[in-house]
Amino acid sequence: MDSSLFQLLNYGVYGTAILVMLIGLYGALVKKSLLKVVIGLSVMESGLNLLIVALGYLKGGTAPIFSEGFLNGSNKIMVDPVPQALVLTAIVIGFGVTAVALSLVIRLYRHHGTLNIDEIRNLKW
Amino acid sequence: METYSIIFAIFLGGAVLTYFAGKLNSILQDILFLGSVLVPTYLFFSGVSFGSAMPFSLEGISLLWGIDHYSWLFALIVLGLGSLAAVYAIGYMKGKERKGYFYFNFILSVMSMLGIVVSQDLISFFIFWEIMTWSSYLMVIYNGKDIQRVGIKYFVFSAIGAYAMLMGIVIVHSITHTFFIEDMIQAYGHMSLQLQIWIPILFLIAFAVKAAMMPLHVWAPGAYSNAPMAYTSLFSGALSKMGVYGMVLILVTLVSRLPQGIWFREVLAWLGGITAAVGTLWAIKQDDAKKLLAYSSVAQLGYIITGVAIGTELGMLAGLFLAVMHALFKGTLFMAVGAIEKQTGTTNFTEITGLIRKMPWTFLASLMSIIALAGIPPLGGFVGKWMLYESLITSDHYLLVILIFFASTAGFLYCYKFLFGFFLGQEEKEWEHVKEAPATMVVPMILMSVFMFVLGTFPGIILKPINNGLMDLGFVDSYKHLWETSVIFNNWGDHVILQPILYSIIAIFLFFLILVVWKGYKGTRYVTTKDISTSGEVPKEDENLTFSVGFTQPFLRAVAPVMRRQIDKYYTEFAKGLEGLFEFMRRIYTGNAQTYALYVVVFVVIVLLFKDVLF
Amino acid sequence: MVGTPVLFVAIPLLAAFLIPLLGMIWKELVRIVPGLVLMYLMVLSINLLNHVLVSGPIVEVIAGWAPPFGINLVFSAFSGFLVTLMIFLGLVVWLYSYRFKRNVGFEPAKKYFLLLMMLITGAVGIVLTGDIFNMFVFIEITGISGYGLTAFYTGRDSAEASFKYLMLGSIASTLLLLAIMILYSQLGTLNMAEIASKIHTVNPTYKVISLILFISALGIEAEIFPLNGWAPDAYAEAPGPVGAAFAGIVVKASVYAIIRYIFTIFDISGAYSFLIIIGMMTLIIAETAAIRQDKLKRMLAYSSIGQMGLVLVAFGFGTEEGVFAALFLMLNHAIIKSLLFLSGSYLVYNSKDKKIVEVNGMHKFLPITSFLFALGAFAIVGLPPFAGFWSKLSVLTAAADSHMLFVLALVLIVSVIELVYYLRVVNRIYFFKKGENVDPKKPTFNALLAMIVLGALILVIGFYPDVITGVIHKASADLMDKTKYINDVLSIKQ
Repeated sequence: MDSSLFQLLNYGVYGTAILVMLIGLYGALVKKSLLKVVIGLSVMESGLNLLIVALGYLKGGTAPIFSEGFLNGSNKIMVDPVPQALVLTAIVIGFGVTAVALSLVIRLYRHHGTLNIDEIRNLKW
Repeated sequence: METYSIIFAIFLGGAVLTYFAGKLNSILQDILFLGSVLVPTYLFFSGVSFGSAMPFSLEGISLLWGIDHYSWLFALIVLGLGSLAAVYAIGYMKGKERKGYFYFNFILSVMSMLGIVVSQDLISFFIFWEIMTWSSYLMVIYNGKDIQRVGIKYFVFSAIGAYAMLMGIVIVHSITHTFFIEDMIQAYGHMSLQLQIWIPILFLIAFAVKAAMMPLHVWAPGAYSNAPMAYTSLFSGALSKMGVYGMVLILVTLVSRLPQGIWFREVLAWLGGITAAVGTLWAIKQDDAKKLLAYSSVAQLGYIITGVAIGTELGMLAGLFLAVMHALFKGTLFMAVGAIEKQTGTTNFTEITGLIRKMPWTFLASLMSIIALAGIPPLGGFVGKWMLYESLITSDHYLLVILIFFASTAGFLYCYKFLFGFFLGQEEKEWEHVKEAPATMVVPMILMSVFMFVLGTFPGIILKPINNGLMDLGFVDSYKHLWETSVIFNNWGDHVILQPILYSIIAIFLFFLILVVWKGYKGTRYVTTKDISTSGEVPKEDENLTFSVGFTQPFLRAVAPVMRRQIDKYYTEFAKGLEGLFEFMRRIYTGNAQTYALYVVVFVVIVLLFKDVLF
Repeated sequence: MVGTPVLFVAIPLLAAFLIPLLGMIWKELVRIVPGLVLMYLMVLSINLLNHVLVSGPIVEVIAGWAPPFGINLVFSAFSGFLVTLMIFLGLVVWLYSYRFKRNVGFEPAKKYFLLLMMLITGAVGIVLTGDIFNMFVFIEITGISGYGLTAFYTGRDSAEASFKYLMLGSIASTLLLLAIMILYSQLGTLNMAEIASKIHTVNPTYKVISLILFISALGIEAEIFPLNGWAPDAYAEAPGPVGAAFAGIVVKASVYAIIRYIFTIFDISGAYSFLIIIGMMTLIIAETAAIRQDKLKRMLAYSSIGQMGLVLVAFGFGTEEGVFAALFLMLNHAIIKSLLFLSGSYLVYNSKDKKIVEVNGMHKFLPITSFLFALGAFAIVGLPPFAGFWSKLSVLTAAADSHMLFVLALVLIVSVIELVYYLRVVNRIYFFKKGENVDPKKPTFNALLAMIVLGALILVIGFYPDVITGVIHKASADLMDKTKYINDVLSIKQ
């Protein structure tokens, strides 16, 4: 692949990842439904994970595993393993947070009878 | 060295023990209380030698305790009045609730005041200052009356003062790197002019608050009248003197070395004079004896401030002599009001009359203190006022003399009101059962009256220690020969020997007293307040005909324009405005999770945008 | 070796997972085990701290990978001091809630203690770890257990508070991860010591952006204005001891993280003045908001936020004196604010709205609790001779020595505001008539014991601050010495 094209593609991936993050942020900040807010937060995290993986990618690199294919093949470039490990951790954490968030949403719905975030404002000032 | 530790250990341990002893036995508690005030007092005057210093270190800060002649004078005021008030308090607190609370704070107050005068470093000074503040605050709210307003006001003003002082302390420390007062005085000469001006101001704010100087006096009337009277005598008599103590220290050691210092003195002297005048006017207006005395305290402190602010040796002498006198007569007066309050349940002039026969000893003590307060010979107040006028005239403050003279003369009105309102006039049926206060309350009052009398005749007794103190502060001893005899002198070189005059005055006074009493027993017709004719109309039953009602109306009408402007109101408006602003500001927390998230995003974006400025 | 730092993370984590199992054997074990664990850790941390103060920091390498490749835990004077403080507060909170939760039955108690252990694990991990991603994981552990604890009571608005906490927490974790990745993409390492040694090679723009993201992310947890919208709600709705744990443990860990980034990892001098700016903003806004509160715990929450602002200001001076003041303040705040939360939650125990007016006249029914609350109130506003005075004095001295007279004046003005609202509450407790529908609840013995321990500490530190200042001086010297930290960690060989 051409180097400049790769660069462009790379930026494209970064851009997409950031776009996904911003979409998630928009959802979390603007949407009134609690569920959509939670979805927004998840989307934001996914975008970030995408960005992290993209950062760790090297041109033509293979999976960072000492497999037979890696040792025997001509391609000796590996992508950076650390970001992938981090993303795995981040995904797990994100999963946990989302689960807690959804359980809270259920509690809030039972308590308030609505999912509108503007109406759930018993605590203020 | 050791003595200090023992004294403060007894104070602290005594305070705690006294508090808990109340759960066991009331009499044991009283004894413990007396012991924990009197024993340290004895130890202090017998065991502590001048100049002895006790250095020790806490949290890496070196602290130093010791006394010189100047602080010894204030220790005398604190411990002397403290001991007498403690004896008085035993009687006063009998049968009252929260006795342990009262005793605890009383002991802590005495301890902290002694601590202030023995501190020779700024940190222990500040620590004791704050302990004094909160222990007196706890006394102000003792009655639970109006505490959210009066109590908090007292504490807020004290805190503003204390924090101003703390700011001064840490600024000094950033230059000298020690907290010793001695080092502060040493280093003061080398500071920048800006600091030389600001540091005394910061300290003086603290002292002006405690001494209830205009315009920082608004806490005083409420606080003095709300605290239990046994404590107020100490509060007004000794605690407010701590402000004077610090003020003199700052004026003499720092301000006098500043070329611009003359402005400090002038402003302070005038503020003192205004305080005296306004305090007097407000005192005249009061119908409640506690309030009257509270305002009178403010006014008296005004004289003292004027005296020490003048800064000449005579002015200092006058101020400090008045400070001692004020401790004596105001202490006595508050005790007398406390006695009346305890025996009758009220302190309002419009309700009580004719107590002279029922409470003769209280009357005698009040009479003496009123004479001293008004500055009439033969009691000590006269000597103080005389010296004050002298010092003002010799330093060419003629306008100020007029102001002080006005305040002093107007002061007669409330003096008269106090004496006449309570003790003279018709005897009401309602107060027939009233008896003299118990001995523990009467004896301290009489003792203090005797002191006042002695000081009026032999002012040298106390002027000598004051003079020694001033010499320690660096004054030249130019009046020394005068303390040896009991004399009064003026600007034109006249030396008036006091004794013959005084003795003749006393003789005349006693003669008339005997005459009046004798006549009084013989030819008095008993009448009631209702037994009068008012222009042919018969007064209704519920009409308050006590002569104290509207006692000074014409005078007050004349000075009404001055009294209309209350500083207190502006402070209240300011506080209200602030709270309104805070109320508005807390709406930032809207309660909406998305708004909070938006704050985060906005914060990040703004900081990122201005990152070149910020980092 | 007296013990290893890894135990601080491993043991409470293990205990957290064992709690449900142990509960099957004997229900009381659920309550007892956390206490035993914390007591053991307390002994361990004091031992280790003694060891560290004498012979330098302990660097623990996990799984045999030497730094900078593996994760390492650093138990130095600074982190050790904070860990000891956290464990101590954990112990106090445990002691307090040992029976506090008796009314709520076995199931909730199990969850409560499980989450509490997780919270302590996370917070201690944040302080000990030497790896920025590992720190992220610990922050998330702390966060998730924090959400759970906030939502502990089902009857109240706790779910709302918890959701706000969670929402801001998620944004925080996103920002944090982003910041970590920016650093990683520039330096290719996650080890704090190695980043610190190489940070001067990084492009300044990336460096600043990454620092800003770090501060914003951690600032959410550390309750910096305007990132602290969750804090008052969470404090007010969480159970009383959890409020104490937040103020004493979680926030301390987050502040630690910010300080570690600014003092050790980054070399941006502007960050110090930035700390002062945000610290002052936090202090002023929080204290002014506190004075107008009508709910007790909410007032305490704002006060707590304000105090943390002051801590940041003190750190922002950047001098060793300032660090000392900040650490001393953190210690005092942890002790005093915990006492206030613990005693305050008994003062409004049975009331529905937790209003301040409901503490009226409580001293007749809860004399010791009321006294301890008053003691805490006097101490936190910095009245001598209580503990708060010394820390306030050291903050002010540090400010004056750094020639920040404006900051000095503002801090003192705010102190007056603080004084007013605390005194108002204390006045109410002691001098107002009790409301009619208020039903005071006597504190249990162990709760009382926990509060008395804190109260005694306030007096001890107040009368003799030297008991603790030696350690704090060493801790602050340790934080200031950046090269030593780098060398200590990187010199470890496999």
